[in-house]
Amino acid sequence: MTDTQTRTLILASDYRVPDPSRVWPLLQRRRAELAGIGAHHVVVYASTWEHGRVLVTIGIRNPEPVVDLLRSRVWFDWFDAVGVTDIPGVFAGEMVERLGVSAAIEDAPPGIVVAAMTSVGDVSMLVERVHGAIGRFGAAGVRKVWVYQAFDDPHEVLILQEIDSDENARRWIDNPDEVAEWMVGAGVGPYPPLFVGEFVNVMRIEENL
Amino acid sequence: MYVCLCRGVTSQVVADAVAAGASTTKKVAKECGAGADCGRCRRTVQDIIKATEAQVAGLAPQTSVARVRRLFG
Repeated sequence: MTDTQTRTLILASDYRVPDPSRVWPLLQRRRAELAGIGAHHVVVYASTWEHGRVLVTIGIRNPEPVVDLLRSRVWFDWFDAVGVTDIPGVFAGEMVERLGVSAAIEDAPPGIVVAAMTSVGDVSMLVERVHGAIGRFGAAGVRKVWVYQAFDDPHEVLILQEIDSDENARRWIDNPDEVAEWMVGAGVGPYPPLFVGEFVNVMRIEENL
Repeated sequence: MYVCLCRGVTSQVVADAVAAGASTTKKVAKECGAGADCGRCRRTVQDIIKATEAQVAGLAPQTSVARVRRLFG
């Protein structure tokens, strides 16, 4: 896919803010600006392990090259508003796989989200291996896995895993399945350490705002 | 990973600059432009310098699991 085609991409960033409770209201106030860059949804996760750490993912439909999108004042104004001085790296990519590992249970409590941004050997092979290990993932409490591949580096991934309980999340972090190579590569160089948290809110943005 | 939003520089480009000898944020900025404008990505550039130098020296960088264990026992 070329940069000139309209495509759905995801931008994700993981950072620390002085007051995480301000993130959601500030995002809501920027609905029009986000619509202006083609954002169609924004999801916010808050760390349950490190106070102040948030993970924000933004789904965007925009024909502009990613580098032009990232130069938008929207990002700089956003980081200023939430009190982030050192701008973190931004993952830009697209979803390549969404796996429902275990059947959804009605009224089940929300799961724990464990997210990793890292570099892996081969994304296609990784997805194949995850499919082969789906039974083990389910037994470990993993409910869903989303795999996103970066545009700028074919080895780079953002992987979101929803796990049924904090206890199982801790177990998964300490002893991940052998195919979950992303669990040991996070936290090196530009990549943030594993994010462990919970879903806060999702904002859907209409195109005609 | 896009590290420098002003110039659209990726982590791979920064790592290549470091591997080619750019050992400080100033040298990285001169080599590839990352951090040359607003400078708010310099902390991430420093992290890449450390990780790349560790890799070049054959030292295993500290992984996320190790960091999580250190933080939360």
